[in-house]
Amino acid sequence: MKFQQIDQFAAKLRADTRASVYDGSKKGYDARTKTLFDHYPDPDRLRHLAGEIKQHVVENLDTYLPQVEAKLKANGVTVHWASDAESANNAVLSIMRARGATKMVKAKTMVSEETELGHFLEKHGVECVETDLGEFIIQIDGDHPSHIVKPIIHKNRREIAKSFEEHGLGAYNDDPQTITRRARAHLRNKYLEADVALTGANFTSAESGRLVLVTNEGNSRFCLAATKCHIAMVGIEKILPRDRDLGLLLNLLARSGTGQQLTVYTEFITGPKSPAQPDGPEEMHVILVDNGRTDVLASDCRDILRCIRCGACLNVCPVYRQASGHAYRSVYPGPVGAVLSPLLAGKKFPELADLPKASSLCGACNEVCPVDIPIPDLLLRLRNKGKQAGSEAAAAATPPMGMWALMASQPAAWKAALIGGKLIDVVPHKLMPVPALRAWESSRTLPSWKGGAFRKWLKTRPNPSAPKR
Amino acid sequence: MLNHQRLPLTGKRVQLMATCLCDAFYDDVARATVEVLEYLGCEIVFPEGQTCCGQPAFNGGDWAASRKVVRHAVKTFAGEEPVVVPSGSCAAMMFHGTILEFEKEADLPAVEQLGRRTWELGDFIVNGLGVTTWPGRYDAKVAFHRSCHSRGTDSGPAANALLASIEGVEVVPFGEGEQCCGFGGTFSVAFPNVSTGMGTLKLEHIRAVSPDVLVSGDMSCMMHLGGLAEKEGKPIKTQHFAQVLRDALRNANLL
Amino acid sequence: MSSDRDSILARVNAALKPLPKRAPLPAWDDELVVLRQARGDIADPWALFAERLRAVNGTPLTAVADLVALLKKSNWSHGYCDPALWERLRPDFAAAGGFTVETVFDRTRVDDYHFGITRSVGAIAETGTIILGDTTTANRLSALAPWVHVALVEPARIFTDLTQAVAAFGQDPNIIWCTGPSKTADVEGILIEGVHGPGVQVALRA
Repeated sequence: MKFQQIDQFAAKLRADTRASVYDGSKKGYDARTKTLFDHYPDPDRLRHLAGEIKQHVVENLDTYLPQVEAKLKANGVTVHWASDAESANNAVLSIMRARGATKMVKAKTMVSEETELGHFLEKHGVECVETDLGEFIIQIDGDHPSHIVKPIIHKNRREIAKSFEEHGLGAYNDDPQTITRRARAHLRNKYLEADVALTGANFTSAESGRLVLVTNEGNSRFCLAATKCHIAMVGIEKILPRDRDLGLLLNLLARSGTGQQLTVYTEFITGPKSPAQPDGPEEMHVILVDNGRTDVLASDCRDILRCIRCGACLNVCPVYRQASGHAYRSVYPGPVGAVLSPLLAGKKFPELADLPKASSLCGACNEVCPVDIPIPDLLLRLRNKGKQAGSEAAAAATPPMGMWALMASQPAAWKAALIGGKLIDVVPHKLMPVPALRAWESSRTLPSWKGGAFRKWLKTRPNPSAPKR
Repeated sequence: MLNHQRLPLTGKRVQLMATCLCDAFYDDVARATVEVLEYLGCEIVFPEGQTCCGQPAFNGGDWAASRKVVRHAVKTFAGEEPVVVPSGSCAAMMFHGTILEFEKEADLPAVEQLGRRTWELGDFIVNGLGVTTWPGRYDAKVAFHRSCHSRGTDSGPAANALLASIEGVEVVPFGEGEQCCGFGGTFSVAFPNVSTGMGTLKLEHIRAVSPDVLVSGDMSCMMHLGGLAEKEGKPIKTQHFAQVLRDALRNANLL
Repeated sequence: MSSDRDSILARVNAALKPLPKRAPLPAWDDELVVLRQARGDIADPWALFAERLRAVNGTPLTAVADLVALLKKSNWSHGYCDPALWERLRPDFAAAGGFTVETVFDRTRVDDYHFGITRSVGAIAETGTIILGDTTTANRLSALAPWVHVALVEPARIFTDLTQAVAAFGQDPNIIWCTGPSKTADVEGILIEGVHGPGVQVALRA
């Protein structure tokens, strides 16, 4: 492969799409900076603490998973376990079949994107309607989300208006308020007709078994007020040790992702509705999903499992801003995706091993991460892994280092190269079959060669005068 | 995130790591580094066998190749003196990157010992030698680019403070200072479109404040931004802050 | 299913076995996450709560008459009220006239109700949050579907900060923290209020 796929994608990205992504990301980053630093004297301290708590959970999942299961059961929740996507989807389907249910409304959950639940259910004759506005638009478009928090960050109002018209949601109207009202009216009926609601969970408390859902639109509330059965698909890593840790993580999550103190709705659910309550689920299921997470746990990149899916790393990432989410060819884009996606791919790791290369290792992602994941270090580890796996995708357009390493460990060879490099000033670069040189000079000039000049000066200068201080 | 605890200084004799970039392209930056350190009373030792810190191969994922080069560096820079390097990224490689790639290697202790006495130049001047203001004169509006590898270290603030203290210098902040310039080592040639996009954006922000000179602690960033600007036909003056410190002394006849 | 459980737990155990030690769980002080303005003894919790609620475009009110005036102004004349509250509120509604208020929520006519008035569990001052729960919300839909949601908030039940609210969870299976009206910024990052939930979030001081 001559080129890196993500770089090619970025080059072909429409200017207006890039502008949408850039503006949306920057807004999120600026909002985060403002609220965190206005509200707290030392936000980094909070991030480091939250990171330690989540790392503790990751490294003690063998204790916490059985604990969570026991709590959920005690709360009247039916617990299912799913090793992979097929198992998770089948678990959902069998719950629905048992109820004779054919209509589902769902809130946003990235786990269901991993398992492609929507398509699976449609194939089996179940209507599955996305209720988050962004995900709803993605669904009717047959598109994929490009950001884990703002799924249609890549779309503009005109594209959305056209979609709505094409799908019978009214004559073309690109006013954002009109678009939103139309979705409200359309989805309201869907909620009330559905039998089953599917959500994810942002956190699960090992102390109380409480599931926490963090939203803004009211869609998950509606799902859980209108339907009779609640299914939650939850990654096995989404655990917090104690209820009180929610006080820390909830203060960090919304600020990091969108600059809000809290999202509009934070729901704390321990089981089906209380007996006297007429609205809501009589039955609650939690599906604990692995789908590659145990592979990540076994790797030297397990720190990525701390992730609470806030999206802050996407918002600040200069590569994400240039390339947009779809460039990453996977459910999770951006810095978190560059680590998680190749690892979740299991045997297909080499196919996604170019994702960790799409980074200048600037470290901005780690700086904004509410759980202090050392993403650049993880990217480096995966680059090493990609090289060892012989991944073609990873190797594309990358100068080979064998010769260089030889030269750089033998001073005589190095010094010879310092002199010989003068060629670069003398021979037309068009004649040099060095892809890296070509790539550099597609947009930049090279400084003139000064190999050996410093060493010569050091050797031949008159004795340095006595120190002035 | 960067693990940059330094061993306390044992004296003013230092080993100079010039960096491969200065060896090849930026001889005056290495020269200015020597002149500045000698002005501060340091005795400079330049191990002749030095080549590179091993970062290019490390970043590219070829850790075996990188370790070869790092082992050579460990031999070359043997001893107890501080190793001073006019580059945030080379310094970070020595005290952070090497720890990662030698995690499972038997010679990790030797590599760690070298890392713990490697100082980026600005950090060394301000926090090693305790010099917080700079004499001399340098009349210019300076845009200071804090390179990404000094993120989370004391290097950025150190260089910034020194520059701001020079008579005649006006350090002007520019937009989106936290965003990377787009160099990233082999990233610049493996992802040329994204790299150029990032650099072009940064140049826009820099040009918006009309500086006389763009200054940084890493010549890699300057090579990228300077090269972009020149190719655009709108060249921009770039300097390493060591050159600014040296020039300030020269302007006041202190060197 | 049990085979999935067994294999997942086996993989988890195998993955963690090589670790020489496990990362410890740190303790932390509540003070760390409390907003500056919410520290120490707050003389008037309602005042801080009202200020933070306004900051998220919510509507704090202290008199029933003000609520009635707000509803009248936009011609929101048809609504629902929790029967436990209606006796208290009826006089002001009657005085204004022109209102139809039901005390049973009919989910087959969800869009008939302009407003829904319900009880709350409490509130959180530092964020302007209203706390709802299954035990105090007679119908979940009544607090969610109408364009205007009015929650009665008792000042004695206002927590200062999140850590206090978390400590007071209790046994309610469905606690909801409502922080302002429902909203989205999915379309070009432009803020639109009133998505699936209420477009107007009122807190009426009890």
